[in-house]
Amino acid sequence: MKIGLRLVILAMLVAMPATLVAPPVRAESTLDKILKEKKIRVAIDVGNPPFGILDKEGQPDGSDVAVARQMAKDMGVELEFVQVPSTGRIPALLAGRADVTIASISVTTDRAKTVMYCNPNGALQIVIFGPRRVAINTPADLVGKRIGITRATLEEATVPKMAPQGTNIVWFDDISATIQAMLSGQVDAVAMTSFAGKTVADGNPDKQIETKLPVTTAFYGPIVRPGDFELRQWINTWLFLNNQNGTLASLYKKYTGLDLPPLPVF
Amino acid sequence: MNYIFQFNVVWDHLPELLQGALLTIQLSATAMVLGLCVAVVCAYGKSAGPRPVRWLVAAYIELIRNTPFLVQIFIFYFSLPVIGIRLTANTAALVAMTVNLGAYASEIVRAGIEAIPHGQVEAARALGLKRLHIFRFIIIFPALKTVYPALASQFILLMLSSSVVSTISAVELTAITNSLASTTFRSFEFYFVATGLYLAMALGFRAGLSAIYWAVFQHGRAA
Repeated sequence: MKIGLRLVILAMLVAMPATLVAPPVRAESTLDKILKEKKIRVAIDVGNPPFGILDKEGQPDGSDVAVARQMAKDMGVELEFVQVPSTGRIPALLAGRADVTIASISVTTDRAKTVMYCNPNGALQIVIFGPRRVAINTPADLVGKRIGITRATLEEATVPKMAPQGTNIVWFDDISATIQAMLSGQVDAVAMTSFAGKTVADGNPDKQIETKLPVTTAFYGPIVRPGDFELRQWINTWLFLNNQNGTLASLYKKYTGLDLPPLPVF
Repeated sequence: MNYIFQFNVVWDHLPELLQGALLTIQLSATAMVLGLCVAVVCAYGKSAGPRPVRWLVAAYIELIRNTPFLVQIFIFYFSLPVIGIRLTANTAALVAMTVNLGAYASEIVRAGIEAIPHGQVEAARALGLKRLHIFRFIIIFPALKTVYPALASQFILLMLSSSVVSTISAVELTAITNSLASTTFRSFEFYFVATGLYLAMALGFRAGLSAIYWAVFQHGRAA
């Protein structure tokens, strides 16, 4: 018994210096893992047209889904979709269920505290639009007009700041009520994303709805877990090349019907 | 629980919340008065009017009581402009609330009217009272007294359901609370305070309605 204890202590004394001088083993990065397993897991949100939807066969589709497909193809790995609701886009990534999330996540400093953004792969514009008979050409024209916006949206955070004093801002609880208010003439114009605006204009040609003023542009991009610098750098490289060769712009145009605004990088 | 409550944001916005509560009170109180008038007329029409009037009133009551309040509000705000009637959000809310309460309350009032013993009306007629007098003193007054508790509950329900009118941009308490919660991200705190304000208003209305009952039916009767 006594000898046994001594042996253990001796063994520990011998082993200790060895652990101190051993070279640190480089942890396998997420990029290494993806390349080794030949599979990338991408979290997508298929409940958010035009970025992510399910097509008639129930397969994921949409502008961000198309970006993910092209990216995996160029990486030469298999693509596995992890479908998440809008609120699960960041948790699924942080929990390790996905390697990257590509689901129109607008770049904000708050989100950047928990995840790392790649460069933007698309942009979302908030615009004011209304029927042709309503004359709005400059922000000053908003004075005296009734402008409908939806609560808890980007437009609620931006329109009251850009609208001059004397603008009647009218708040609605959901986007369909805001659209109805414009179509029934209860408000003169409304603010929402340019995608929603295009859908409303296309669906109601008799109302002659047109874009009046841009309010703001929000950029969205893929996100990776904090510390996944190698993966982020690869995605940024891919974004750079496909921004240059027009692939991003053509995918964006295909699904949104709009031209991709110039994408800044950071 | 890791959530840290920050009520100071709420106190900063208290004047706006009270402004919203004031509109809730104004809308509800006005709708109560107008709705009761509609109810009395309809209840009389349904129990004593000629057949076409009875059918018309029955149709109105069935239509309103069997469709959602939210849809009724949408009709008044979004659909009436199509036929050229443009109501502001507050007016549309008031009209919808009045029409809605009128339907529910007329069934309550009718129950009160039907509870009046027929002999009482016949006695009044034998004494030579005019039709209007019979309705006023012999029928509607005791009828309202009988169903007053049920009416008061319906009034409170109406006040609470007025929270729905925020959907058509009327800026009552719920609308203000929604806006503040979505811009300050302190939804817990704001909804807590809104709950408290609704509770206070409901209790206030209840006390007010009890006072009216005492003044009209107890005190007034003795005089």
